[in-house]
Amino acid sequence: MWRKSKPYLLLLPAAATIILLFFGGIFDGLLKSFGYFPAIGETELNLAAYDRLLHSASFWESMELTLRVAALSSFLSAVIGALIAVALFFLNESMKTNSPKAWHRLFQLPLTIPHLVAGYIVVLLFTQSGFVSRVLAAFGWIDNITEFPVLVNDPFGWGIILTYAWKEAPFVSLMLYPVLSRIHGSWREVSRVFGAGNWQFIREIVVPAIMPGWAIATFIVFVFTFSAFEVPYLLGVTYPSVLPVYSYQLYTSGTLSDRPEALAVNMILAAITILLGLVAYYFSKRWNVLKGWG
Amino acid sequence: MKKHPQLLSLFAFIALIIFVVVPFVPLILSSVSFSWRWPDVLPESWSFRAWEYVLNDGRTWQAVGISLWIALIVTAVNILLALPAANALVRYPVRGRWLFEAIIFAPIIIPPFISVMGIHLTFLRLGLTETVLGVVLAHIAPTLPYMFRAVMISYQTLSADWEDQARMLGARALPRFFHVVLPHLLPGILAGASLSVLISLSQYLITFIIGAGQVVTLPILLFPFVSGGDPGIASAYSLLYAAIAIAALVGMDAALKRYYQLNKAPQDLAKGGKP
Repeated sequence: MWRKSKPYLLLLPAAATIILLFFGGIFDGLLKSFGYFPAIGETELNLAAYDRLLHSASFWESMELTLRVAALSSFLSAVIGALIAVALFFLNESMKTNSPKAWHRLFQLPLTIPHLVAGYIVVLLFTQSGFVSRVLAAFGWIDNITEFPVLVNDPFGWGIILTYAWKEAPFVSLMLYPVLSRIHGSWREVSRVFGAGNWQFIREIVVPAIMPGWAIATFIVFVFTFSAFEVPYLLGVTYPSVLPVYSYQLYTSGTLSDRPEALAVNMILAAITILLGLVAYYFSKRWNVLKGWG
Repeated sequence: MKKHPQLLSLFAFIALIIFVVVPFVPLILSSVSFSWRWPDVLPESWSFRAWEYVLNDGRTWQAVGISLWIALIVTAVNILLALPAANALVRYPVRGRWLFEAIIFAPIIIPPFISVMGIHLTFLRLGLTETVLGVVLAHIAPTLPYMFRAVMISYQTLSADWEDQARMLGARALPRFFHVVLPHLLPGILAGASLSVLISLSQYLITFIIGAGQVVTLPILLFPFVSGGDPGIASAYSLLYAAIAIAALVGMDAALKRYYQLNKAPQDLAKGGKP
C-alpha cells in the first residue's frame, strides 16, 4: 500500500499548493465574475458582467490593441532573435570554436533585466526628447523635438512593442542557438562541394533546421506578451489599454460593480492563454522541440 | 574568400553590441547628469546627486532587503515542494502523470495576476494582504514551475543504481539523500533557484495587489519614479534594480562553480593526485 501511494504523497505538497493558491484564485475569480459576492449579499450567479463586457466598445478596442501589440512584438522578436542567433553562429564559425563562450552571456543580458527597467530604457531612448532623437538631431536629420514621432505612451503601442522586441529577441535566439550549433561544419563543407554559397546555405539548410524551434519560440513570446501587465502599464495610454491593464483599471476603479467585469476580462484572458498554450504544447510535442519539458 | 567572412563577423559583432549594450547608455548618462537638455547628446554638467539620493535613502536598502528576503523564502519553499514532486514524477510510475504536470506547469501559461486578483478579497478576509507572508504566497505559483522543471531534469540523469549501491553499503535514507542524491541534484536546484529569485524579484502587479503598497519591494519603490518622476533618480534606481537581478544570477553561478571546486579537491586527494 505504501509503495503504491508513495509517489502521490510525494506529489501532494506541490500539487496541493498550486491547486490551492493558483487554481483556487482562478476559481475565486470565476465565481466573482458571475456576480457572486457573499460579502455584499450577492449569492446569485449570472452572466451580466460578461454580457456588459462583450457589448462594450472599450473591451473590443482593448482586445484589438492586445492582439496587435502581441503579434508585432513576437514578429519583431522572432526576426531580431534569428538574426542574433545566426550572427553568433557565424562569429563562432569564424573563430573556429564550437563551445559557447563567456561573451555569449552578454547577449542574454536583456533577458535578465526586469521588465520595468526595460520599459524605462525604452522611455529614455524613444521619447520625443529621448536619446535617439538627440542623436538624430546631432546628425542634423531633425531640427525640432516635434519632428520625432511619438513612440512612447502612444495609442498604437510602439513603445510596448519596442520593449518586448529588445527583451524577448535574446530569448528567441537562446532557443535557436542550440539547434544552429548542431549544424555541423561538415554540412557546410558538403554544401560548398555542391556549389552553395553563404546565402544558399542559410536558405536551404539553416532555415529548415531552425523552423520548428523558431515557430514555438515566437509563439511563446506571443502568449507571454498577450498577458503581460508591467510594460503596457508603464508605456501605454489610458485608453485604449491592453487587456491585463484594462482589467486592472476596472478592478481599481472604485466602484464595486466594475469588479465582476474586471474578473470576467481575466477569465477571458485565462481561456485564451490556455487555448494558446495547448496549441503550443501540441506542436512542440509533434515537432519534438521542447526536450525536457515533460 | 578568407577576408569576406571576417568582415561579416566584425559587422555582426558590432550590430550585436549596438543592440545589447547601447540601450544602457542613456540610462547611465541620465543617472549622472545634472542638466541634460535636448538636443545635447551628452549632458552639459554632471552630478552624483541622484546616486547620493538613492544610496543614502533608508527606503532603498529596506526595499532591497525585503525583495531579497521574499525571493529567498519563496525559493526555499519551492525547493521543499519541488524535490519530492520531481522525484515522484521522474522515478515512479504515476497514473495521471499529464494531469500533475498540467497542474504544476499551469502558472507558466496562465498569467498569475488572474489568480491573485481572484484571491485578493479572500486574502483580505484572512488578513494576508499588506503582509510579507501574503506576498510570499502570491509569488510561489509563478516561480514553482521553473524550480520543478530544473529539478526534474536533474532527476532524469540520476540513476537509481547509485542509491541502491549506497543502500548496499549500509547507508540509511537520510545519509543516502544528503551524500548521493542531493549532490547530484545541486546544479539543477541552483539553476531553478536563480530563475525563482529572478522571477520573484521582477513581480510588480501581484506584489502591489497583495502588498497594497505596504510591502515595498524594489519594483514597487521604482514605479512612481519611472512613470514620470525625476529621470535621474529613476535611472539610478533602475540601474540598482537591474544590478541586483544580475548579481543574484551571477552569485548563484559562482556558488555552483565554487561548489564544484571544493568537491573536486578531496576527490583528487582520494585518488592520490595532487591537491
